[in-house]
Amino acid sequence: MAALRSSSAARLFGSAASRPAFRLAVAAPVRGFAQLADAAQESQTASGDQKARIKTFQVYRWNPDTPTEKPTMQSYSLDLNKTGPMVLDALIRIKNELDPTLTFRRSCREGICGSCAMNINGTNTLACLCRIPTEVNAEMKIYPLPHTYVVKDLVPDLTQFYKQYKSIKPYLQRDTPSPDGKEYRQSKADRRKLDGLYECILCACCSTSCPSYWWNSEEYLGPAMLLQSYRWLADSRDERTAERKDALNNSMSLYRCHTILNCTRTCPKGLNPGLAIAQIKKEMAF
Amino acid sequence: MASIARSALLRQAASVPKLPAATHAIARSSALRQSIANTVRASAFHTTSRRNLLPPLPQHVDGTVNDAAPIPETSPAHGSYHWTFDRLVSAGLVPLTLAPFAAGSLNPTMDAVLCGLILIHSHTGFQNIIIDYLPTRRVPRTRKAVMWGLNVATVIVGLALYEFETTDVGVTEAIKRVWTA
Repeated sequence: MAALRSSSAARLFGSAASRPAFRLAVAAPVRGFAQLADAAQESQTASGDQKARIKTFQVYRWNPDTPTEKPTMQSYSLDLNKTGPMVLDALIRIKNELDPTLTFRRSCREGICGSCAMNINGTNTLACLCRIPTEVNAEMKIYPLPHTYVVKDLVPDLTQFYKQYKSIKPYLQRDTPSPDGKEYRQSKADRRKLDGLYECILCACCSTSCPSYWWNSEEYLGPAMLLQSYRWLADSRDERTAERKDALNNSMSLYRCHTILNCTRTCPKGLNPGLAIAQIKKEMAF
Repeated sequence: MASIARSALLRQAASVPKLPAATHAIARSSALRQSIANTVRASAFHTTSRRNLLPPLPQHVDGTVNDAAPIPETSPAHGSYHWTFDRLVSAGLVPLTLAPFAAGSLNPTMDAVLCGLILIHSHTGFQNIIIDYLPTRRVPRTRKAVMWGLNVATVIVGLALYEFETTDVGVTEAIKRVWTA
């Protein structure tokens, strides 16, 4: 019915109106109430000649309303032909069409907000940057970030992470005003030192992949915070470098890093927290 | 409510005793049966009981969620100096370990230096392990006891090595004699 309406609308309004009308026609069956199972829907769609590629997603479920019930893995099957390419697309589709109780954080869907960090197939990554593997035989396992307190389903509690972020004073500290009263200027070389540091979006993928952070998250700052620390240590405009170094100079805050490098391996933004930590250690040696 | 109306579901729920959650939804109960089967299958392989060493405690937030985490006191002796010393010892061990291969044997002084460095290296290594796995905030007395145990062990090993170096052939020579490869 929707298709009929759209085609008549296209004829009425001409080519300019045909595009939005066509979109409406596609969106209508997807939102439909009766189309929960992809397999049943397969024959009705325009791409009926394509074979359905049903992939199973196993998702960690835990409900704080029933705290005595153990966490379980719940399976959802989706047709990959009708799902976007990324894991976040699949999760949103599960939530929209299969199970509205599934809970997860998401915001920008393009890897810039860091909300959808989760453990997908054993690797911490952003769901919006993680492609769904095309082979349909393997199940996909989705857990919340490891070794975090879970609020619900895929939502981890990042209180300690943010408290630690506050403790490293992540802002420019400076007493001398700029000579001309305008902005604090930097040479190009000094600015280049911040490349690879300022891009961190604090998604907590690296910190929660670090065994040292698993055991000592109360005192050890973790790779994300140390990368941020180095971002301010390396900034030529900051004048509290000595104080910042003193804050790290104890047995727990920095030196629980044993160069395991899980952080660098897992970073969904391709940054290198391990290198930043090594730089801090080198600068603080002697 | 709808699930109560379905008698087939009630029969399924009755077949899974001790699990009241099974009555919630049909998808849930089938998933549960699957998980029970998996648990039974997996437990058949386990011969030892599962031990929870230092299981995670319930979440505890110091102050409010908006307070910064406390910054520890500055102590370079446990921080930067300690780390630098560690690296120097590790780096120093490399030539000392290779020297006997090149020179055939070491003189007693170099042998003693090698022994001393290995002793310090293993002492700080064990210290790191203890700091990692026995946090003061969680097991303060065990931490203290183990740390003292490590100190005692290091002193004993140090004395033994001293005896070995002064009254016997020394470490490099001993390894050479035992080595048959």
